[in-house]
Amino acid sequence: MIQFQVTVTAEGGLHARPAALLVSRASQSRSTVTLAKGDKQVDGRSILSVMTLGAAQGDVLTVQVDGADEEEVAAAIKELFDKECKV
Amino acid sequence: MLRSLFSRKKKQQEVTILAPLTGVVVPLSEVPDPVFAQQVVGDGVAIDPIEGVLVSPVDGKVTHLFPTHHAIALTSDSGLEILMHIGIDTVKLKGKGFTPFVAVGDQVKAGDKLIEFQLETIRQAGCATVTPVVITNGDVVAEKQVVASPNVHAGQEPLMNVVVKGGTA
Repeated sequence: MIQFQVTVTAEGGLHARPAALLVSRASQSRSTVTLAKGDKQVDGRSILSVMTLGAAQGDVLTVQVDGADEEEVAAAIKELFDKECKV
Repeated sequence: MLRSLFSRKKKQQEVTILAPLTGVVVPLSEVPDPVFAQQVVGDGVAIDPIEGVLVSPVDGKVTHLFPTHHAIALTSDSGLEILMHIGIDTVKLKGKGFTPFVAVGDQVKAGDKLIEFQLETIRQAGCATVTPVVITNGDVVAEKQVVASPNVHAGQEPLMNVVVKGGTA
């Protein structure tokens, strides 16, 4: 299992578009992806769950990736938060 | 009787999703945002509204209301998760022009008013007004059919008919 933290840079937080990109990547993987904000933990494959996390710009999230392709998926998610989730 | 036996065996349920807006029905593929057009968010259809009132398309519960009130997600009593995103890129309006009438956790009936919005404010911000209505948990959907009519009336006409898979099917 890989665990790391990401900062939400998207203006407006994890709204529909960044959440969709994240869920899309998580769903393509063979690993489980879990996102947590404080005590609240959600399945990274469910867009509604990711949006209900209510992550705002500047929030730090803990991401857990567990499975066969965890290294690849973790790298892709980090990149998403660095680049595309800025929108 | 055979039909009822059949449906009981499958435990499927037919659900009508009413039009949440009055306007023109637009295929998702024509929505100017790739995450909706390519169905990354989910499968469904869009409506380009001519009136700024969003009503509930189903009986259900408000699962998520965006802090900026430009989008709302409901979970229907039948188990469908439905996301309605008013306009494209409207997150940048930061709530301006959107007035919510419900809160997270509220039970709603089909036709209940959810959000009022100003079409003019959205247009002036340079955003498209077309509003995707998508099912975000497509794994529970067995079949989906969008109405054939080009125009729909909010809360009065169906937008989609969906067959929801049973728990054991």
